[in-house]
Amino acid sequence: MLAFYVWFAAPAIVDSVFDDAMAFLLSQGAIAGVQVLLLVVFIWFLFFPVSLSLKDVETNQLQIFLSAPVKPSDLLLGEFVGVMPFYGIAIALLAGFFTALLIPIGIGVVQTAIIILVFILVFFSALWIGTVVAGVLRAKLGGSERGRDIGKAMGFLLALPVVGIMYAVMGGALETITESGAVGALEFLSIFPSSWGASLIVEFAANPGSIGAVWMETFMNLGGLVIFLLASLWLGTELAKRTYTLETAGFGFSKAGSDGIAYRTLRSAMGGGPFATIIVSFMKDYGRRLQNISRLGYIIGIMVLINVFLVRPDEPFGILIISQALFGLLAVFVVGEVTVRGKPALFIYRKAPRGIKRLIGARLIHGWMITVTTAVILLAIQLMLLPEIELLPFLGYLGFAFAVSAGFVVTALGFFLVMPAFSDKSGEFMIATIGVAMIASMAFVALVIALGEFWAMVAHLCLIWSLGGILLLIGASRIRQLE
Amino acid sequence: MGIIIRTKDLCKYYGKGDAIKAVDGLNLEVEEGETFGLLGPNGAGKTTTVRMLNCIIKPSRGDAWVSGHDILKEPDEVKRVTGLLAESPGLYEKLSAYEFLEFMAALYDVPGEIVPERVDDLLQLFNLKERRDHLLEGYSRGMKQKVLLAAALIHDPAVLFLDEPTSTLDPRAALMVKDLIKELADQAGKTIFICSHILPIVEELCDRIGIIDQGRLIALGTVDEIVSQSGKDTLEDAFMDITGGVEEKELLAWRRRGAEEA
Repeated sequence: MLAFYVWFAAPAIVDSVFDDAMAFLLSQGAIAGVQVLLLVVFIWFLFFPVSLSLKDVETNQLQIFLSAPVKPSDLLLGEFVGVMPFYGIAIALLAGFFTALLIPIGIGVVQTAIIILVFILVFFSALWIGTVVAGVLRAKLGGSERGRDIGKAMGFLLALPVVGIMYAVMGGALETITESGAVGALEFLSIFPSSWGASLIVEFAANPGSIGAVWMETFMNLGGLVIFLLASLWLGTELAKRTYTLETAGFGFSKAGSDGIAYRTLRSAMGGGPFATIIVSFMKDYGRRLQNISRLGYIIGIMVLINVFLVRPDEPFGILIISQALFGLLAVFVVGEVTVRGKPALFIYRKAPRGIKRLIGARLIHGWMITVTTAVILLAIQLMLLPEIELLPFLGYLGFAFAVSAGFVVTALGFFLVMPAFSDKSGEFMIATIGVAMIASMAFVALVIALGEFWAMVAHLCLIWSLGGILLLIGASRIRQLE
Repeated sequence: MGIIIRTKDLCKYYGKGDAIKAVDGLNLEVEEGETFGLLGPNGAGKTTTVRMLNCIIKPSRGDAWVSGHDILKEPDEVKRVTGLLAESPGLYEKLSAYEFLEFMAALYDVPGEIVPERVDDLLQLFNLKERRDHLLEGYSRGMKQKVLLAAALIHDPAVLFLDEPTSTLDPRAALMVKDLIKELADQAGKTIFICSHILPIVEELCDRIGIIDQGRLIALGTVDEIVSQSGKDTLEDAFMDITGGVEEKELLAWRRRGAEEA
């Protein structure tokens, strides 16, 4: 498949965009453009292993490895080499695109080989750094429940910078930088090794087939990349020797304080009985998990990034459409707690009298309190940023956000009860996430196209609530029979 | 003393065509106030039996009664009169011991006015009072086991099911749990149903034991009766004889071939 891509697909793709791409590569903004592009991929290669590793921070495997007669640095090196082929495919795809673009203008075999080498050096450096950072964090955080929680929280938030850059590129930041020729931005970008590679590619595009004309730049940039990779390898190895261990830095105990005014008010508002205690317990368990806070932060961050970089709707309905999918995601993240603690946690309710009824009731109220509140506040802030919005439509949209996000909670809970996700990395969790997001966004857009704005909102509410109700009924019966 | 737990042809099958017989025609009677031990190798059906008797899972066939309540028709009543320490229990790690017990009390409708005192008493009993506000995530496995045992007792049930109650405890805590079980049986008149691999504990605590293997009850009686029936000297030997253990001469067979080749 890779050979097919390199020999046929890439040239065909390039052929269709050849004129525009060459005009860009030979323009003044080429360096900045290629620099940003490679930087995005560089950061992705660096963050992805870290993010992946932090989502499942465990030290049980590490304990087995470290008990074997193998040096910690060799373990990391083995991990790095093990994942190389998978990332190598991504490198081949990217390098293939550039070589396919430049070969027709006459770059020779040597320049082609150097471009491929540039991609290998840049991205494997990033992958190695990512692997080391992931390994060290895993070893440091995996030893305790609190550490694992911190790891999961970090794993989520680390995705934001990558998403931010991606949105910025999609939103035209690349053109802004290249057109303005922003000197400050160029200087900043030049500190990244990906930029050294980018300069080389642009130089080759400007001087195809003439390696002698750019030998100095080639020597400097390529040499810099080789030194960077070797230095990364050496530093990573040294760091692994010192920190890739299961040594605990210290023992600390987290303590629960006495119930604050918020919990006391909530308890009273819920009647002060056993059901109120169950809801308050859910709120405490939810609020003390950094992972949950980071997910809330992630949703808010995405909302901000969309507004800043991607699209800034100038009318309320546009804001509502963009927000819908995020409200759905929020509901999934909050309600997913119902099963992700595993079967044993569910069996607590199966053992208790009327336990499943209370579980569903308490999870709904808990989900509504967090999801609906966040959704309404987020929408209100976005609407208030509009230059002119009248009070009545403002309240109307907030009312819709209230009702629809409450419906997402019911639907998400129904999904999780019908198909319990015993881990947030499970296929079931993914299906629930995609399912709710699709219903929240795609179904809404389809309804808008078919029925117009007002009736689409009404129909969407009916759809969400009826689907949620059905799923909840089926799910309640399913969870009672779960074995 | 009446019969408090009774099972009649209790079965639990899994898989296509009910190929896996986790519990197969279990007939058992446990008397009120008795401490009964269910022994068996891994996968024998002990935990499945306990889960059925606590109405967590439903039997494929047969029926059972706990404290006079039918597990199929009156599950809520059964759940109210039983407490369960599960083998792999769920725990809310971000709650403190006090908060978790308060939560469990709420699930079993323990009247609000007696909850604080009962939780404190149980924490005191298990020597956890000083760490009552520490989050459970920082507890050792043994300490978590104590909290779970306290949770099983929070609604003061008449029947207590303990699945491997001391497997994660240090000797001192195990001794305390053993003493507690004795007290609960002798002083409070509780019926206790213990599942365990640890034979000395069962031997010491249980009035009667049943041995289950591949879902079927293959021995029932007092420890002395079972030992004498098997013609062995100890419960351990009797257990191995009844359930079929690895012959001693086979234990190092795995290294013989390598040694011979070398």
